[in-house]
This record gives sequence, C-alpha cells and structure tokens, in this order.
Amino acid sequence: MKKRHGIGIGIIALFIIFSAVSFKSSLTPYVTFAKAKTMSGSVQVRGVLISERVIMTEDKKAITFKLQDENGQEALIVYKGTKPDGIEEATSIVAIGKYQNDQFIAEKLLVKCPSKYQSVQGSVNK
Amino acid sequence: MKLVLLLWIMGVIYAVLYIVPPAEGLGELVRIAFFHIPVAWVSVLAFLLSAGWSIQYLRTRDIQYDWKSSAAASLGLLFCLLATISGAIFAKLTWGAYWNWDPRQTSIFILLLIYGAYLVLRSSIQEEKERARISAVYALLSFLTVPFLVFIIPRFYFSLHPEPVINSGGKLEMDTIMIYVLLAAVGACTALFWQCFSYMVHNKQKSA
Repeated sequence: MKKRHGIGIGIIALFIIFSAVSFKSSLTPYVTFAKAKTMSGSVQVRGVLISERVIMTEDKKAITFKLQDENGQEALIVYKGTKPDGIEEATSIVAIGKYQNDQFIAEKLLVKCPSKYQSVQGSVNK
Repeated sequence: MKLVLLLWIMGVIYAVLYIVPPAEGLGELVRIAFFHIPVAWVSVLAFLLSAGWSIQYLRTRDIQYDWKSSAAASLGLLFCLLATISGAIFAKLTWGAYWNWDPRQTSIFILLLIYGAYLVLRSSIQEEKERARISAVYALLSFLTVPFLVFIIPRFYFSLHPEPVINSGGKLEMDTIMIYVLLAAVGACTALFWQCFSYMVHNKQKSA
C-alpha cells in the first residue's frame, strides 16, 4: 500500500515536470528577437540595455535604445511614450510590440529593477 | 494574547512606515515587500499545514483533522490572493504593468485556481465523511504542485519578479534593519494566520 502511494506520487511529480516543459511557451511570454521577427502579432521580447543612454528621437515623440536579447542579438527599440523610471538601471527590459522595418516598435516597456533591499547610500530621501 | 498580537502588528506597521530606510532602486516602494513577502510565506505555510492535516485525517479518520485541513487551505487561499494583489500593485509600480502573465504570475494564478477548486469541491459534497476523505486526498495532491509553482518554475524561467530574498546564490542581500523588520512582519503575519485559524477551528468544534 505504501509502495503504491509512492509510485502514485512519483507519477504525479513526473506529470508536473512534463507539463512544465511542454507548456513552456504558455508559462513564459518572453521570446527572442529571432522569434519576434517571424511573428506578426504583438510579442514580448526581453533583453538588456546595451546603449549607453536612452535617447529621444529627433521629433521628440519617442525614445529609442538598443536591446540585446538572451541569444546576443541586438535590435533598435522605438517606444512612443515617456521614459519609464529606472530604465537605465534596469537589469532587464521587456519590450512589448512588433517588428517593423528592422525596428522593434514597442507599445509598452516593462523594466526589471535591481531589487537589492539595501538602503540608499547616505540614506537621503528623494 | 490578542492584545499582544495587535500591538505587535501595530509595531510592525510603524517600523515598515517609519524605520525602514528607502532602498536603492526601489526607493519607498520597498515597503510593499514587508506585506507581500509575509503573506506569500504564510500562504505556503498554510498549504503545507493543510496537506499535513490531510495525511492525519486519512490515517486516523478523525473529523477534527478535516476541520483543521480545510481551515488552513481556505486561509492559504486568502493569503495567496493577498500576495497576488499586493504583487500586482508592486508590479505596476516597478515593472509598469499590473498583470503581464509573467511566469511568477502565471504560476500563482494556477495555484489560486487549484485551491479555489478545493473550496468548490468541498461545497459540492454533502456527506461529511465523504467530503473529508475526498478533500483530504485533493489537498494532499494540490500541495504536490506548490513546490513547482512557487519555487521551481519562477527560478527556471526568466521572470520580472526580483530574486527571492533567500536566493540561489545563498546570499542575503538585505540590510540588517530590513531583515529584522521583515522577520517581525513574517512573525506577525504567521501569528495572525494562527489566530484566524484557531478561531475557525474553534467555531467548528462548538457547532459540532
């Protein structure tokens, strides 16, 4: 009886691992630029900022910067909107949008901030 | 006892609002973590206790364990919901969106569905012993998914969610003062859970 329970639990655990692997695409919405190019709809690409600065475009209606995805591929991101807080310090950036003419037009930007739970040096309130 | 708990919670709230320094990067937003982390911790603890009492029920068939198991699972669901909501607010303020189907969010959503289904299952069975037996098995199986959903999936896939305080590197990247306040908050939250739990079980015992 005990052995049967062990086997049952083992099967369930295996099933969970199997589901986690096979539903990878549903579990994580983030894709690479290579994948993003092949898709027509809106996708989420995650990467790190490699430009030194996030700059405004000439008409001052958008911001633009270079993002490098996990495979090392780079792309120029154009985002029409205000610069999100802390984007220059972000450890990762997720751009939601689609590829158009070799640029990634982002509708939305999400930033992952370095959360270190360390107090600000000198502890001066902003 | 209740007075001590009340004073303790008030002390923690005071500490979170006035003693905790603004953090690097997160700034004042770090204060949400002192709610978010304890409720998430309590929800995992509650699910664990629920599974433990389910085993006890299946072994002894003592209905008391069924009351304990179901009270723990319901409270676990409530705290899990609080963690999800506080997490969504936290996400809006730090990442820039309330909900993004991030692996962390997807996995907690699945967890909410699993334990939501537990309550539905319970309410659909009339006969007491039958209900106790079936829900004990269900609660036990549900708990098997918790390590995957809470600890493995978010570490396996990239997530916008910050590294947990106890991270893979084993480093504790937290100010000493923040650790003390966090521990006090976790303690307060756990005690609050226990208080609610005892109240629910006690009510059951009285009405039985």
